[in-house]
Amino acid sequence: MIDFALDPELELLRETARSFAQHRLRPHDRDFETARGVDVATRDAFTEIGLAALEWPEALGGAGLGALARALVLEELGAADAGAALTLDPLGPAFYALAECGEAAALQAIAQPLLERPGSRAVLAWNGVARVALRNGRATGVLPWLPADRVDLLVLLDGDAVAVIDEGIALAPLRGAGLRAAGASELRLDGAPVRAWWVNPRGARRALARARLYAASLLLGVMRAAAGFSRDYALQRVAFGKPIAHHQALAFLITDMAMAVDGSRLLVHEAAVRLDRGGDAEEACATAFLEAAEQAMFVTPNAVQILGGHGFMQDYPVEKWMREARALGLCFGGVDGAREDAGRGIVAAHAPLGLLEAQP
Amino acid sequence: MNFKIDDELRKRLAGIRELGRTQIRPLGLEADRAGKPVDPDHPFYALLLKLGLGRTRWLGGELDAEQDATRSRVGSPPSGGERGHKAGPSLTGVLLSEELAYWDRGVAVSFPGPGLGEPPVLSMGTPEQKERFLARFREPDRPRWGSFAMTEPGAGSDVAAIRTSCKRDGDHWILDGDKSFAANASRADWIVVWATADTSLGRAGHRAFVVERDTPGLGDFKIEKKMGLKAYESTSFTLRHCRVPASHLLGGEATYSNQDGSRGAKRAGFKGALQSFNATRPMIGAMAVGIGRAALDEAAAFAREHDLGSDPRVRDRLERTRRKLRVARLLCWRAAWLADQQQPNIVEASMAKAHAPAAALDATLLGMELLGEVGARGDHLIEKLFRDVKAMDIVEGTGQIQHIVIARQLVGLPRE
Ligand SMILES: Cc1cc2nc3c(=O)[nH]c(=O)nc-3n(C[C@H](O)[C@H](O)[C@H](O)COP(=O)(O)OP(=O)(O)OC[C@H]3O[C@@H](n4cnc5c(N)ncnc54)[C@H](O)[C@@H]3O)c2cc1C
Repeated sequence: MIDFALDPELELLRETARSFAQHRLRPHDRDFETARGVDVATRDAFTEIGLAALEWPEALGGAGLGALARALVLEELGAADAGAALTLDPLGPAFYALAECGEAAALQAIAQPLLERPGSRAVLAWNGVARVALRNGRATGVLPWLPADRVDLLVLLDGDAVAVIDEGIALAPLRGAGLRAAGASELRLDGAPVRAWWVNPRGARRALARARLYAASLLLGVMRAAAGFSRDYALQRVAFGKPIAHHQALAFLITDMAMAVDGSRLLVHEAAVRLDRGGDAEEACATAFLEAAEQAMFVTPNAVQILGGHGFMQDYPVEKWMREARALGLCFGGVDGAREDAGRGIVAAHAPLGLLEAQP
Repeated sequence: MNFKIDDELRKRLAGIRELGRTQIRPLGLEADRAGKPVDPDHPFYALLLKLGLGRTRWLGGELDAEQDATRSRVGSPPSGGERGHKAGPSLTGVLLSEELAYWDRGVAVSFPGPGLGEPPVLSMGTPEQKERFLARFREPDRPRWGSFAMTEPGAGSDVAAIRTSCKRDGDHWILDGDKSFAANASRADWIVVWATADTSLGRAGHRAFVVERDTPGLGDFKIEKKMGLKAYESTSFTLRHCRVPASHLLGGEATYSNQDGSRGAKRAGFKGALQSFNATRPMIGAMAVGIGRAALDEAAAFAREHDLGSDPRVRDRLERTRRKLRVARLLCWRAAWLADQQQPNIVEASMAKAHAPAAALDATLLGMELLGEVGARGDHLIEKLFRDVKAMDIVEGTGQIQHIVIARQLVGLPRE
């Protein structure tokens, strides 16, 4: 039956992630941004508490946890520093493409070494618009932006297939709009050898769905942080004789921001539970991403607004969250790609939200 | 975490679906065309009784004490052992409400039963009062209704401003005032009427009475003409030197009087009212979702029939509508689930109530837009849904009031 309680293990995991995020990431977010990466001690701590191999199969030494666990952890990390979250996760959503489309052996051969080399990055890039051409086992093209300064493994995903490249990757550093703690680069391939190429439309779609949920969970964290921070600020800041939060215009705005966060979270969790049950979750994941991206575009600019001129200054984190939310919403085909996938079946469906139909 | 509806509840939902398709929706359309509420003698209501509906959730008699002990402010804990196996009463209510409203929210509110009058009787009433007012709803001999009257011409959102007065006179109270928009009031066996013993006390002066139908001084029933939801009556009435037995004061004198000085306790009467709102906010949200879902289905069907499926402009808006309704539904479920777990749900219930009506209104607006001039004809279901849905953002605390409730919790927004 419908149940919103978290299992105690997941509750514990979330606490662990929250504590790490708030103590190890949040206080250093500007340093990470400047350094375009996290320090070794932070990375070691992340690996030590098991967050680096969260969904990695147990048989291969990982924690073997599911989508809900991942979503909970990412919300916590995103609430502290989404850029750091990306750079700390050696496989990131690239794992989904490898796991959904490659065989177990390939997963082990290609991905395992990254887990063992601290600081490695596998990066998933959406190639739905064929920025990279794949011909005769070679890849050529330019990806205008990836949130990474180092790419050990590039995993290209399109609607039907996954291509894996680990040689001949040229990066040119960029300033990046957001997520700078993860780095920012333009990526060029000029006839780079394709190490593996798997055609598997179902797997590719599922990988995309999981990647979207990954981004949605980070977005959720970012907007939660922005909503919470700006609310606390509004209780301190006094204008016209009372805390600005007590002017109804702002009280209602703050309320709407809280609702935006809660609603997005419910969609993320519902999609994650669907994934974990092995059900059809592509539409649910696209929907969750879309909502999170749109609501983050409502919440984070308003968080800046609530801080007024101070919000615009980099002494406060809200401007960073606004940039990060914007950048995350551009990943994996962005909101329009998600809109396409979320809405594809809606006209044909007979009862798109029927209580007896829409069961995970 | 789980989002599955259990089989037993699915069966009940399937039952409502069948009843909805064959009876509820046609009846709602008929009432809408006729412009007046479904007649209390309509055979449909007798059918509902036969189906086991139109009853009180009060268990009655010896079970009363048990129910009292286990009842949370908004429902009882899930029965049947472990958490997670069976829906609690609030979740059940939310799911059934959505499905009923999907077919016709107006008809659903017209269902016999104690209605909105039940929560205050359950939460504030003495055992004798429950027996007197609810027992008849356990195995009703015929369709019977209860009603709830708080709103007045001069006081809606600002409930503290009600002016209907109550004065003690021997073993009676004398009620004087005007009440507005009370659902099912003219057909009700009794109406829970809120009055004030002392307007200078604001909410602390409030008293709740159960006023029975034939009480002299209760009258001038006026069934209002509404934009939508025509299948049930929203009725205004007056109380003119209306003598109500002292035993009909909900909870008895002690509930209101012996706590002078203690502000919290003095507001017991008002709290009783709020409590009943607390119970129903997620349900109103779910009803809005039901209306919105009906609009979504109609809009999608229209798009299908007119080959609009490949138009991204149409698809995107349908997708957005479904997404907002899905969020609304999850907000309602969460609020109800919390109530079933006996956890505080003030913020969550208000979020559900604040979000769902807006999402549902959007669904109907989009439906009208897709239909274009066909929508303007005034004979399409979507057009009716569009008129029905607006009330959901007004009843049981407007959207703005929900924002205030949430903001009090989030930022301590002061009460003036
Ligand atoms: C179909 C229908 C059925 C109903 N059934 C019942 C019933 O069974 N029993 C019953 O007692 N009542 C019933 N009502 C009445 C309903 O509860 C009231 O209409 C509602 O509480 C709003 O009160 P009002 O109409 O006086 O509006 P007002 O309180 O005058 O509000 C007018 C506007 O001002 C806004 N507003 C008010 N205060 C504030 C504030 N502090 N900050 C910001 N905005 C504010 C409101 O949100 C609203 O937009 C029903 C109403 C309808 C439409």
